Amino acid sequence: MNLESLHSLLPQILLALGSTAILLGGAWVRNRRLWLIVGALVAVVAALVAAFVDPARIDILGMYSATAYARFCTVLWCLTVAATLLISCRYVDLFRFGGGEYASLMLFAAAGMSLLSSATSFVGLFLGLEVLTLALYVLIAFRQGDSRGAEAGMKYLVFGAVATAFLAFGIALIYAATGTFNLEAAAAGLQTEEGLRPLGLAGWALLLVAIGFKISLVPFHLWTPDVYQGAPAPVSGLLATAAKGAVLAAFLPLLVMTGEGVADIRNVLWLLAIATMLVGTFAALPQTNIKRMLAYSSVVHMGYLLIALIVAGDEGSRALLFYMVVYTLATFGAFGIVTTFADENGEIQEYDDLRGLATLHPRRSAMLSVFLLSLTGIPPLAGFFAKFGLFQAAFRGGYAELAVVGVIASIISVYYYLRPIIALYSPEPAVVCREVAAQSETLVLVGCAAIILFLGVYPAPLLTLVGLVIP
Amino acid sequence: MTAIMATDFPLLSLLLFTPLAGALMCLVIGAANGTNARWVALITAGIVFVLSLVLCLLQTPAAGWLLYEDYSWIENFGIRYTLGLDGLSSVLILLTAFLQVLAVLVSWRQNHAPAIFFALLLILETAAIGVLLALDLILFYLFWELMLIPMFFLIGVWGYKRRFYAAVKFFLFTLIGSLCLLLAVISLYLLHGEQTGVYTFALEALKQTELSGTQELIFFLCFMAAFVVKVPLFPFHSWLPDAHAEGPAAGSVDLAGLLLKTGVYGMIRFAFPLFPVAAQKTMPILAVLALVGLFYAAWVAFQQIDIKRIVAYSSISHMGFVILGLAAWNQTAWEGSVLLMVNHAVTTAGLFAVVAMIEQRTGTRALDQLGGMWKSHPNMSAFFLLFCMASLGLPGLANFAGEILILIGVFTVKPLWAIIAVVGILFSAVYTLRLVQGTLWGSSCEPHDKQDLVPREWLVLIPLAVLVVLLGCYPQPVLELLREPVSSLLMSGGLP
Repeated sequence: MNLESLHSLLPQILLALGSTAILLGGAWVRNRRLWLIVGALVAVVAALVAAFVDPARIDILGMYSATAYARFCTVLWCLTVAATLLISCRYVDLFRFGGGEYASLMLFAAAGMSLLSSATSFVGLFLGLEVLTLALYVLIAFRQGDSRGAEAGMKYLVFGAVATAFLAFGIALIYAATGTFNLEAAAAGLQTEEGLRPLGLAGWALLLVAIGFKISLVPFHLWTPDVYQGAPAPVSGLLATAAKGAVLAAFLPLLVMTGEGVADIRNVLWLLAIATMLVGTFAALPQTNIKRMLAYSSVVHMGYLLIALIVAGDEGSRALLFYMVVYTLATFGAFGIVTTFADENGEIQEYDDLRGLATLHPRRSAMLSVFLLSLTGIPPLAGFFAKFGLFQAAFRGGYAELAVVGVIASIISVYYYLRPIIALYSPEPAVVCREVAAQSETLVLVGCAAIILFLGVYPAPLLTLVGLVIP
Repeated sequence: MTAIMATDFPLLSLLLFTPLAGALMCLVIGAANGTNARWVALITAGIVFVLSLVLCLLQTPAAGWLLYEDYSWIENFGIRYTLGLDGLSSVLILLTAFLQVLAVLVSWRQNHAPAIFFALLLILETAAIGVLLALDLILFYLFWELMLIPMFFLIGVWGYKRRFYAAVKFFLFTLIGSLCLLLAVISLYLLHGEQTGVYTFALEALKQTELSGTQELIFFLCFMAAFVVKVPLFPFHSWLPDAHAEGPAAGSVDLAGLLLKTGVYGMIRFAFPLFPVAAQKTMPILAVLALVGLFYAAWVAFQQIDIKRIVAYSSISHMGFVILGLAAWNQTAWEGSVLLMVNHAVTTAGLFAVVAMIEQRTGTRALDQLGGMWKSHPNMSAFFLLFCMASLGLPGLANFAGEILILIGVFTVKPLWAIIAVVGILFSAVYTLRLVQGTLWGSSCEPHDKQDLVPREWLVLIPLAVLVVLLGCYPQPVLELLREPVSSLLMSGGLP
């Protein structure tokens, strides 16, 4: 490792150092909000560095890359983590979290995500994923004395550990088959008609299982609702957005390639996409808990994103990145609103408890409606253009059937997205949650809603940006 | 006049976004004080009405667009911001703006979160005007969908007991149609792009796309899926009675006056000109559905107890008439269809307004509990009678003018259809008279509020009544505005 490589890894190093510093500092100064804000600042600085400081070299030790694409992902995840920290300000006070530890783990997760989506070798990928997952194990069970939280943490740990085992074994098989850790070379090696190809394919199958767990594709999604329900709302928000996006982003550069080996994977992905969209949709319908509903919604949206991954090429990548940003904004926003509704009795999750809250909190209810309608894909919200780009790309790439299934899933999704909205606006008097939102919460969420509205009317800036960074 | 046309001032955008600005004002100013919100809404609706009236008066019977705006918008997808105003749009926009003023007045006493309520009404107005102006398919789709959200909330939040059911039903029905439309639009766009290398959503450009017979038929059906649900044409109508019955009064006025019109407008502006061959092939089917709907809705209306549902079913029946006129595919029938659409909007808005007033005074909408209103509320009853007579097609009142034009137009092509349709008018007389008899005469129902019309209600009903008579006796101005656009749309669709 030389100075140039270090310089190229600057954002990740900043995150890791910041994380350590906050952990140490948090032991001395027990001010929760201070550390959260410092953490958010560190994440923002890392994002700025990633965005504006040109890296000295693109390839870093053959493990990571500092392409425009990787840096774009880093910016995205850093900002998500910064926003998560900001909306947690009131929440950590409420449940007496250790502020330093919380902020430090969040930054650690950000570093993991950033490494993950800039990985060019299996080793880098594995490292990034483990850094991320380790931080999440703790964050999910952060609420002391909360049995649901503990259950969620345990579930995530068990599933996560199994997934990691699959991942490691898959990587080993692929290495045996192709003799390389480099992602692209490994994928290219699959195309040759050599004796070891079946071994490589088996490796990819195991790898897909591991990824399926991480981004909760059907049939590996069963942990999702329980974990999202039990985890603290801001952490669920991070889990549903950045933590999944980073994994997907890592595999996007691979599927841009064509060839027999990748084509085989694509067929499997095709099946997974359809199963994920349909099963997720129908599982979301009967939910009466907003966090569980959002969990299934995230499953469905991963199915949509898979469409873009399958289409690949310029069109698919552009659609995927645009969709990911918009989905992140909306889902993060929805979990953010759930965070702001929390009071000392806990979080408000059931629709019955949401009833009539619009009279008490008109602004937050309106924002939640914006987020959910954007997830539905109703214009003039950003979700519409995201879906539009996605389905358009699917048509163009010759996957019309995926687009049709996606459209059907979107139609059905109206029902489950509208139920909480109707509950909010029902004229009955609300019985819970009289708390005012903290300023930081309002700021972040209003920002999210404003961006969604803006992109819904004028998506050109983001479209141009993702057009510039696609691999 | 030419001076105004030559100016670059974006008059159409101003018209389009005034209600939206009003909605924001409503939310900002009206959040604390409901009265402010009401006044902001009324003033905004008034301004839009004046603007659209001016645009209507500026309209010359010449062909082409009176005003046209075209800006680059989302270049990555080839989406442009293109608005155009011709006689057809300006008539319908004037209607929209007029009804919106009344909708605000009708719901003046709305007490549950008035700021949001009136903001939603205004957003709905922007969306409806946008649909009537847009000439880029994605822009059109955007406004088309935007109509859903405010309407959904108006029904789902301010409605009656089964409002969630009605709101979701409305949303799902229309969304399914709309997404078919979206799929067709995207495929058409890609096809056009492959043929010419230019990826665009502009209506004029897409008309030039070469399509095989099957492709054209599929696209046409997808477009029509969105439009017939909105109209609604039998058998896609079942959301409408629920939406009317469970929605608030202003919601019903807007539903009947604004939303249903956009379906027919979509057909004649987009579906028919884009896919003329497929359209003419399927015309007989459309006519049969229209005729069946005409009778079916009348039959069901006759069975109803809830007076709001009777009016809702009468709407479906009349829209069947409108579609029949379109299916005849000639100038007279099309003019008649658009005219009937306008007339129907005015009469139905009047009916819904009076129904809301009756309900306010008696606390019920059930026909078997009502009666004797003529004695207790003579003025209100007189208006109700007038609108009912207009609705059943009494000569000299609004609906008759449109219906007779449609009948003449249809008769020249398919005499049999016209004869069946005439029988349909008879049916509508049956249920309307039952409605009148059950509400106005018979034993008195002891309303708890003996107050006849208050000034605000006079203000709502008088303009409607004047229009009902005017449009019935002298529809010429409207027809003149329609002549040129309708004939050019017919030409672009190709004469049979």
